[in-house]
Amino acid sequence: MSRLAAERARLREQAEHHLRIAAMEDLRRRHSQGTYAPYKPRGGWFWRLVFVPLYRRVPWEAKQKAMRAMRMTAEGNGWTPPARTPGEPWRPPQP
Amino acid sequence: MTERLIVIGGGGAGISAATTAKRVDPDLKVSLYTEFEDIAYSPCGIPFVYGGEIPRFEDLFLSTVDRYVSDGLDMRMETVVTDVDLDRGTITARNQHEGFDKLIVCTGFVWEQPDVPGANLEGLHYVKNIRKAMEFDKVLESVKTVAVVGATPLGVEMAGNLGHRGLEVHFIDEGPWVLHEVLDPDVAEPVHESLTKRGVTLHLGTAVHGFVGDERVRAVATSGGEIACDVVIVCLHKVPNTALATAAGLAVGTTGGLVVDDHMRTGAEGVWAAGDVIEVPHGLTMIPIRGLTGSHAYAQGRTAGANAAGDDRTYDPVWVPWGLVAGDYTIGGFSLGETLAGAMGMPYVLAKGVGVSRARYFPGATRTHVKLLAEPGTLKLIGGQVHGGEGVKERCDFLAFAAKRGATLEDFAWMENIYSPPIGALFEPIAIAAQNGLAELRKQAAAAPSPAPSAVPA
Repeated sequence: MSRLAAERARLREQAEHHLRIAAMEDLRRRHSQGTYAPYKPRGGWFWRLVFVPLYRRVPWEAKQKAMRAMRMTAEGNGWTPPARTPGEPWRPPQP
Repeated sequence: MTERLIVIGGGGAGISAATTAKRVDPDLKVSLYTEFEDIAYSPCGIPFVYGGEIPRFEDLFLSTVDRYVSDGLDMRMETVVTDVDLDRGTITARNQHEGFDKLIVCTGFVWEQPDVPGANLEGLHYVKNIRKAMEFDKVLESVKTVAVVGATPLGVEMAGNLGHRGLEVHFIDEGPWVLHEVLDPDVAEPVHESLTKRGVTLHLGTAVHGFVGDERVRAVATSGGEIACDVVIVCLHKVPNTALATAAGLAVGTTGGLVVDDHMRTGAEGVWAAGDVIEVPHGLTMIPIRGLTGSHAYAQGRTAGANAAGDDRTYDPVWVPWGLVAGDYTIGGFSLGETLAGAMGMPYVLAKGVGVSRARYFPGATRTHVKLLAEPGTLKLIGGQVHGGEGVKERCDFLAFAAKRGATLEDFAWMENIYSPPIGALFEPIAIAAQNGLAELRKQAAAAPSPAPSAVPA
């Protein structure tokens, strides 16, 4: 793995980890019964105090556009987003 | 001249790639290389043999090497591929170079290892190879206390089954509830109860700091203190086994998996990849994900094999229906739950309902809880979770497919369903949830008129 690819993977992992912890804390406020306080390691202050609040302020549509612009989605790698409409009925292949 | 296809890896993706390629083009010479002694067995069944629900490991085998040989495959068992040279079109195995015209990489995954002191002690077990699993089963005969590290799907199945076996089980994870990366807390709660009933002690919100012992593990050092144990089963994340492919120059994406297109083609001419070694986009967000199920690996292998043999098949972005038995309780879902939607900052409206799996008076009827997440405005389904007894798997498969086709809460509220007392109740739990969700939205709209239904703040 190249250094750039490794760094992109690390950034994604960190961002997802801290966003998930924040989301779990929100859900725990609504469902405190049968859940436990998640373990929080030391450090990660930038992610918790800067990244997560900033990320949450941005509307979802803007996030989606930014992710596409930063090539974080698969469209540039030969994938097409699904139409999400009922498909054509199956027909047998023509001989 | 006969073309030669080499498939590296003998898991679900590798086997399906090789057999499909041979079926599409019977003239193709197909060679499959695997480092293991066995092939075509279900590693996902191992926890259930440990738990005694499946009597013998031999029951997990689905086919034999001889059968694949008789189907015309060139099976290279216990043969490790040590190098791939894409420029020359060769692989190296047992110090021999072998040429290929086409290559499919299905090298699967390795388990994430805990990065803490003592991780190399004896007594730490990883579940993958069936022969090692058979040996470990004998070890389990002589132990009383097991620590299961990682509340992943495998961890949950393992803890529940070892509890069923009568062992004292300590289940350790940093998260606030089991399966916290996909599951929501309201669905996790009955899972906790079910595991506890099976004798599993939950240590959630607890980090593993190390493994304690001289040569052999005797305790797990955690943020909550030492937990004594005889053996440890590590059930952390799957890590794509890309070492061979990246050394050959194939690109990896942000998940660490190999990048492929919708034909399972890598960036190199004549090279495909499939299974746990690759990443594929989520159907809703198009963000690449990995670490999916055996059925995903199998379908990807079929796509890669067919295309390598000259066909033209595409693989769709995934909506990830999933499900498992946790203790005595069945849970499942697809796409996203509230946890993931909240983490991503994706707005959603909720629709929740409870129904029964059969006619209420019929023996064996169980309660089925359905939670649906829909896009505000269009009310197209974006995710959901289902839990209860029977019928969870079928509902999650159906919901994933319907979401892929753009079905809305309105569609589900007025869906048709089977009514037959032994197999289905008059009111379908999915329809109940959708009707409740629409009623709630109407109530919200009446209270605060607005052009579109308001979203649950993410």
